[in-house]
Amino acid sequence: MADEDEDAPNLQAQDAEEIEDEEGGQEYLRALNKLAGTPQNISSLSLPKRGEKDFESHSTQLQVSTLETSRAAMHSVLSWQRTHTVKNHVIAMYHEASNMVFVEKVKTSMFNTMGRSKEGKEWLLPEEALFMIERGSLDCRWPVNTDEHDGEKENDEKKIDMRLGAPMSLQGAYAAFLGFEGGVGGKLTLEMYIVYAGLKRAGYVVFRHGNWDDDRGELEHLAPTASEKDAGSGIVSRFFAQLWRRITHPTHTIPAANLAFGPLIKPGLYRSHAEIYRLLHLIPAPAKFTPPHFILPPDPSNPYRIHFNVWKTSCSQKFRKTNRPPPDFRICVVNARETSMPTAAQLNDLLATVPDDPPPSTSTNIFQKLKHGRRNVILAIVDNGIPSYLTLTDASFSEEKVYDRGVKGGRGKGGGRGRGGARGRGRGRGRGK
Amino acid sequence: MASRVGNPKAEAQVSEGTAKSQPNSNNADSAPKKQRVKRPNYNEIHAKPLPLEVYPLPTFIPHNPISIVRIAVSLISHSIRRPSSHLVIHKAYFSPETQSIHVTDPKSIRALWEQGFWGKGSLSRSEPHWLDQEKRRRGLDAVQTSEEYTRGRREERRQMKLERAKAQREAIEEQLRKEGKVVSETQIEDLVDEGLFAESPKGTLYSTDSDKPLASTTETENAIISAVSKSAGQNPLVPDAVIEDQEHLQLTLEEAFFLCYVLGVLEVSNNHVAVQPTELIRLFCQHSLFLATETLRSPVPLSQDDVVAIAPDNAFVLKYIVFHHFRSLGWVVRPGTKFGCDYLLYLRGPAFHHAEFAVMILPAYSHPYWSEDPVRAAASRKKENRDWWWLHRLNRVQTQARKTLMLVHVEVPPPWDENGAKRIDISKVLVNYHVRETIWKRWSMNRNRD
Repeated sequence: MADEDEDAPNLQAQDAEEIEDEEGGQEYLRALNKLAGTPQNISSLSLPKRGEKDFESHSTQLQVSTLETSRAAMHSVLSWQRTHTVKNHVIAMYHEASNMVFVEKVKTSMFNTMGRSKEGKEWLLPEEALFMIERGSLDCRWPVNTDEHDGEKENDEKKIDMRLGAPMSLQGAYAAFLGFEGGVGGKLTLEMYIVYAGLKRAGYVVFRHGNWDDDRGELEHLAPTASEKDAGSGIVSRFFAQLWRRITHPTHTIPAANLAFGPLIKPGLYRSHAEIYRLLHLIPAPAKFTPPHFILPPDPSNPYRIHFNVWKTSCSQKFRKTNRPPPDFRICVVNARETSMPTAAQLNDLLATVPDDPPPSTSTNIFQKLKHGRRNVILAIVDNGIPSYLTLTDASFSEEKVYDRGVKGGRGKGGGRGRGGARGRGRGRGRGK
Repeated sequence: MASRVGNPKAEAQVSEGTAKSQPNSNNADSAPKKQRVKRPNYNEIHAKPLPLEVYPLPTFIPHNPISIVRIAVSLISHSIRRPSSHLVIHKAYFSPETQSIHVTDPKSIRALWEQGFWGKGSLSRSEPHWLDQEKRRRGLDAVQTSEEYTRGRREERRQMKLERAKAQREAIEEQLRKEGKVVSETQIEDLVDEGLFAESPKGTLYSTDSDKPLASTTETENAIISAVSKSAGQNPLVPDAVIEDQEHLQLTLEEAFFLCYVLGVLEVSNNHVAVQPTELIRLFCQHSLFLATETLRSPVPLSQDDVVAIAPDNAFVLKYIVFHHFRSLGWVVRPGTKFGCDYLLYLRGPAFHHAEFAVMILPAYSHPYWSEDPVRAAASRKKENRDWWWLHRLNRVQTQARKTLMLVHVEVPPPWDENGAKRIDISKVLVNYHVRETIWKRWSMNRNRD
């Protein structure tokens, strides 16, 4: 489940640009040293990619010293003391009843893609608060229980001196925000937080999906399809078309005796193989226009529901949290240790809550079409803190009749006769991305 | 994939050589000239997707009145003498030991392979061309077989890796020498040959820790190969002798059932008695599990009246449902054992495209019957349960082989064969099963950000 090397530098700041570093190890060390040395100028820095990996020690001095410098640089970075800058110091107060956090004065751009304003305050969900605390951009305080003031009065006063609260430690934040059942939007599990934080660090815009107090998500209906392209052609031409079809494609039906005892295809006159194939459809499969439906009864304990809506980084510039566009991805978080793979019924119910997203009608490549499917959801399978993401797509094979002419499958093997035979069979492995 | 039929030129040359009875010199002369063997035209060879004959009408060209006449003529002639779609009924027999159906007639073998890619050569990787390989081994034929091609490519790759590893090791030695550490004077090549160094994951050569050097395995391999070739070469290669084709075609149970029940172009016999499709399904269901072979070996053979009820989630039934589903949509479905999945789906066939989809079949017990009774519910949950590591393993292998993983859930109906009727109404059985396909693919956070 470990990701590739490229997944490693997740630590980079949210707005940091893509690193285009080819030099590898040396550059990395330099950057680390720089980071440790000059704390004023962090915004211009980004973590470069790591260099080539040695798998075993080969007792050269070079290897040992490289390793040592790398370690030292890492330690110096970690030992650097992080502080809140005065300009961006955001103080928040913990609200016990809802397990949320409110901020009175919004300062950083982080709030463009986080929180919800209500009654003049900015409210943060547990995962948002926890993420900001962990990142060091939020100073969260426990409310101080003074006997003279009860809760209502505090609200009325509207002005609480936030600075009076006791500072919340990171450990305290984890203990407070995770697994609290009664909070707004239900329980936040550690798995959900890991996925949330990982996506946020990678630069995505993440919000919780839908209303969490339901037992399950809403049924998403089929996308309205363009009505039949039955242009008003003349009766005469239609008559001839019908006649032509009758002559060229005689309609066969399979008698019950054939079905029962075989063979299905009795010896006879068939005009094309497609005609034979059309007779073979026996096994029902969900077709294009079957409306989605739930199989299982509503159950709040069903782990397969959409948890987060995710938007790509590119839209974060003009993203408005009050008016969100349809999400780019939908994520369902799964605990690998406690749940097994979804059953067919669970899969069906999960996919029924995802909007219909048919492949673009312009695509002619059958493989692309099939892989795009109609409905898709991303499963984040968290195994002991390590998430691995899988896209689950509803493939619509029954819609694509391969036996019909004109089906294109991208690059073929040999490309027919035109290609020179010098390479024997065109069997290079250079396919795919 | 050199095929005999597709390459009449090579065949002609072979027969010529045998006639002259001095093929060695002949071959040696012609070898440099004939470096480039023309690829067979697969579009022509595999024009028919099914082993059935069809009679299309001539194309209608609006501005050519003769085309109408031609259509009329063929329509009339077809109505007078109705041509048949089934010109040949292939003969095959059931082999319980291998759980497969054997076709031995060379014409049937070729026809079944060319018209829909059915079965597999018993001595080849896929297409039955043991004879071609054998001829080439004896220096008769210049056509390169796919097995040879793969072997060559693997050897090339191995050499490349070894070279790369050597280069990296040399760099390390150089560094060691620079640092003044003692380096053995032995040449790296010798060390590699002796198996004292092996490749690390990244290709650097390191001394192996284990007692037995890696090269020893290749040595034993070589020993086996030489022994085999020696034993094979005991009968001296007589090039002009007529080589007898020792290969037959093996059909899987699903393929045979499809050819027999659906297309009606195959006649399967068991113990020299032809079996009807209605009885074939029971026979195949009994043999779909490895346990079945035990009952076969038992001294008392199963009598005809002794029927075991077919479970609705019998492995053969589930596999056949999926096989039929994809075949009826026009895919070429072939067993996927080599990639650890149930089926591979080819567009048009292995000669045209690489398999794009790897199919894994999972039973699904959504029908209320399966959750009625707690014992039954627990049993069915156990059968449909898979953990995530199972999926990750599967997905990793498929990604490596550049296949797209597809899970096909087959909805299992309540039992339909409780009384064990002798003849099963197959159509009623098949329509009770539903399939649902889902595609699973890894999603990378770093690739989808923008």
